[in-house]
Amino acid sequence: MATVTEPRAPGSQLGLLERIPWRRIILVVLSALILLVVVVGSYKTLTLPADERYTGTTWKNFITLGLAQGAIIALIALGYTLVYGILRMINFAHGEVFMFGAYTSFFFSDAWEQSGFLNSNPWLSMALLILIAMTASMIVALLLERIAYRPLRNAPRLVPLITAIGASLFLSNTARGFFGAQSRGYGVPDVLSGSWTILGVQVNRIQVVVLITVIVSVVALSLFVSRTRTGKSMRAVAADSEIASLMGIQVDRVIVITFAIGGLLAGVAAVLFSITFESVSFTMGFRPGIAAFTAAVLGGIGSIYGAALGGVLLGLLQSVGPALILTGYGIPSSFQLKDAFTFLVLVLVLIFRPGGLLGSGEAEKV
Amino acid sequence: MGGVPTRSIVRAGSIGGVAAIFIALVGLYTKFATLALVGEQITLGRLLIVAPGIVAGYAVTRPRIAAGERRVVSLRDGVIAGALTGLGTGIVFAAATWFADLFGVDRIREVFVSVNEELIAFLTFDKGIPGGLVILILLCIGGGVVGGFARTAPDDLRKPASVGVLAVLLFGLLQRIVPIALVELGYDADWLYRAGSGLTILGGTVVFLAAAAADIAWNRGGRQVRDRVRKTTEQAPAARLGLFMVLVAILVILPLLLGSVISETLGQVMIYVLLGLGLNIVVGYAGLLDLGYVAFFAFGAYTTGLLTGAFLNTTTGAAQPALSADLNFYVAVWIVALLAAGVGLLIGAPVLRLRGDYLAIVTLGLGEIVSVITASKWAQPLIGGPQGMRGVTKAEIFGLNPQDDPQHFYYLALAFVLLAAFVSWRLSTSRIGRAWTAMREDEQVADATGISTTKFKLLAFAMGGAIGSLGGALFAVSIGSLTPASFEIFVSITALAVVILGGIGSIPGVVVGALVLIGLPGLLREFEDYRLLIYGGALVAIMILRPQGLIPNVRRTRELEEEEVAQDAWAREEGGQAPAVAAVLPGGALGGEREDLE
Repeated sequence: MATVTEPRAPGSQLGLLERIPWRRIILVVLSALILLVVVVGSYKTLTLPADERYTGTTWKNFITLGLAQGAIIALIALGYTLVYGILRMINFAHGEVFMFGAYTSFFFSDAWEQSGFLNSNPWLSMALLILIAMTASMIVALLLERIAYRPLRNAPRLVPLITAIGASLFLSNTARGFFGAQSRGYGVPDVLSGSWTILGVQVNRIQVVVLITVIVSVVALSLFVSRTRTGKSMRAVAADSEIASLMGIQVDRVIVITFAIGGLLAGVAAVLFSITFESVSFTMGFRPGIAAFTAAVLGGIGSIYGAALGGVLLGLLQSVGPALILTGYGIPSSFQLKDAFTFLVLVLVLIFRPGGLLGSGEAEKV
Repeated sequence: MGGVPTRSIVRAGSIGGVAAIFIALVGLYTKFATLALVGEQITLGRLLIVAPGIVAGYAVTRPRIAAGERRVVSLRDGVIAGALTGLGTGIVFAAATWFADLFGVDRIREVFVSVNEELIAFLTFDKGIPGGLVILILLCIGGGVVGGFARTAPDDLRKPASVGVLAVLLFGLLQRIVPIALVELGYDADWLYRAGSGLTILGGTVVFLAAAAADIAWNRGGRQVRDRVRKTTEQAPAARLGLFMVLVAILVILPLLLGSVISETLGQVMIYVLLGLGLNIVVGYAGLLDLGYVAFFAFGAYTTGLLTGAFLNTTTGAAQPALSADLNFYVAVWIVALLAAGVGLLIGAPVLRLRGDYLAIVTLGLGEIVSVITASKWAQPLIGGPQGMRGVTKAEIFGLNPQDDPQHFYYLALAFVLLAAFVSWRLSTSRIGRAWTAMREDEQVADATGISTTKFKLLAFAMGGAIGSLGGALFAVSIGSLTPASFEIFVSITALAVVILGGIGSIPGVVVGALVLIGLPGLLREFEDYRLLIYGGALVAIMILRPQGLIPNVRRTRELEEEEVAQDAWAREEGGQAPAVAAVLPGGALGGEREDLE
């Protein structure tokens, strides 16, 4: 293409238009605009007339809700991060892994609710439900890896991504065929409704359970990855799978374990999500899946704490953001734009800081 | 077991059985139980009973590579192995059916909604439990034998036979087109098709024999004909033009033959051909995976609505949008395309540096932002929000009225498609197209050889956006009213599936992809609920089995052949059993990143 026959001074082929750093100009303008919108919006919201303003309690509720939702997102995000760290691939179908866990546990929860077991042994049944969802999600994740991803291990990078999109569509519509198209109500034990007062703050009981479960899961995962031999081999494969295999680590086995762990965490998240929103449906995996991916990217994909941090931040942003920023402009039903917020954050993070908040210098590869 | 290891037979048989159970649980059997293909007995549902056996039998008799030698399974071994595999499939399937009956259909239905008495009756052919299950197993064995035969029979037997079977299947599925076309042409269709149903037995036999004979004739004399055609078209551009004109002529008279119901489907196909052509520029030529293509589709549709004076739907009736014009559609559409190109630049500029999967996710995010905003109350004053808008112009021209008459719409769409196809064809063979190819294969090298990747990426986004918005404009005209439900992520994924099924980077491929993915389900309403399931499965299967698509791009094929496919495949199959077709694609085929390979 366009071989230059005569030597010219460097840069002289570039026209004036091309010499201007358009990309940087656009980015700077864009970030200035966004900052302006956010600051003005928040200011307007906070200075609304007293009768239209949100009260302190409302804000507090937004924050606890955001924390709990963010914690759930973080659990799903860990599945993305682990797989990405090892295979450099976005497991787009992870949201569906989560959905299958939720559905499976729903059938048990439904049966137990009718038999009274759910309310007579609430804690035991919650634990069992989580175990069931973990198992189901893990099985789906392993099948997914075996059938859809393993044959493409060495393919160009976009091939597994397209496969993953296809698998996501296939799995969600499988659930539609299996379990029907309408959403079902997920029973919650009576013990978990209502709220507790902790340190003078009234907190929804489900949110407390969610937060505790998530913290336990994340700590367990990070202990597993940092202390056990398998965790060590996972880190080795993530660092360099070729060298790891030369060191005698069975890469295939590590990959399978990674998918299994991702599935287990998605299963935990599935039950927590279902009791928070009290319903399951075949489309429930898509939006949380994207939100979780966003969280993983926000925190720095490949990093466990990054995913956890990203999840919590995103959860807060989703619950506080629309109210804080958009209400001021008089936008009706600002919560409808909650998902647009998620995507906007995703786009901005990838544009401005592709390595994420706790990124490990991977930005160059992006 | 001759050339096939026992372990493989057991494995393939059980996988086939699980696949059959999957089909049953997902509800495909009950859905297609009564869709007759040939005669009264051969329905699509029954074919699906046999299908897992066929696929398992076909897979298990594949040539194996051992010690660097390719071992082909003989016909006798193939048929035996196929039968045993089918037996395995049948046993698993029958056992599951029996279990379902013993356990209680109603209890299973509490979880799997498709399981009911009807399904059990269908799977046991109304013959009750032990007797019907024997038939089920025998059918599965038959499927296995067919599969083994289809793989191991000599080529001059199996090829005509497969072509014949595929032709019967196709004619059976096209039962709502072919008879109408025949009647329109003045022929009698009664001997071929039963009224409102599939082929007659006689018709099926005739189609089978005709297709098989055609295949044999093609193999005998086809090569010479093909060579001659290629030579003439290469030597005389006039001949090529003639061929093209013949093709266009067929497309023009097609709706006259097919009646208005089918023209409506064809119109929808054309919209997706347009979307596919646009996306093909971005994904196929420039190698930028765009998952947010619905943004352009929505932009095209809503902008067309606004520019041609559509109303907002409100609870009290209609309202004027906050911003609107009252232009003629044929003026507005160029403005729409131009604006969409601008939007393409705006979207493209900030994401220029991102590559590969990150780009895909960002574009997905942008597409979702558009979907969320179109459905939100915030967008109500401009584009109607959740209620949408109606009264998009009827786009009358030369006495044609595309909105009221599907045939007229088809012509309008065809004109747009021809324009878009012409533009993409010229682009692909131009300097710009070569620059895109270079960029797709290796961005750094392209940059180093003096290609301004910034410029060409933006150009790809702008072109893709403009063509996609034309699809949106057509869509707006075709249905006249716009609601957010039409602008969800599934549009992006369907367009992507169209491009990938047809063959990335191939213009005829887009047409074929749209015909298969939009046309077939459009003609058989029964498919509607399973459309997305099939799209998803197709995306996975294509990526694993045939990543180059149905009609591969010529240049791509050449690249493939140069990669010494055979050698690589040999080395890989030696190591593991997984078919590593995708692995031998040139690294750039889908975006040019193979950092982990070297």
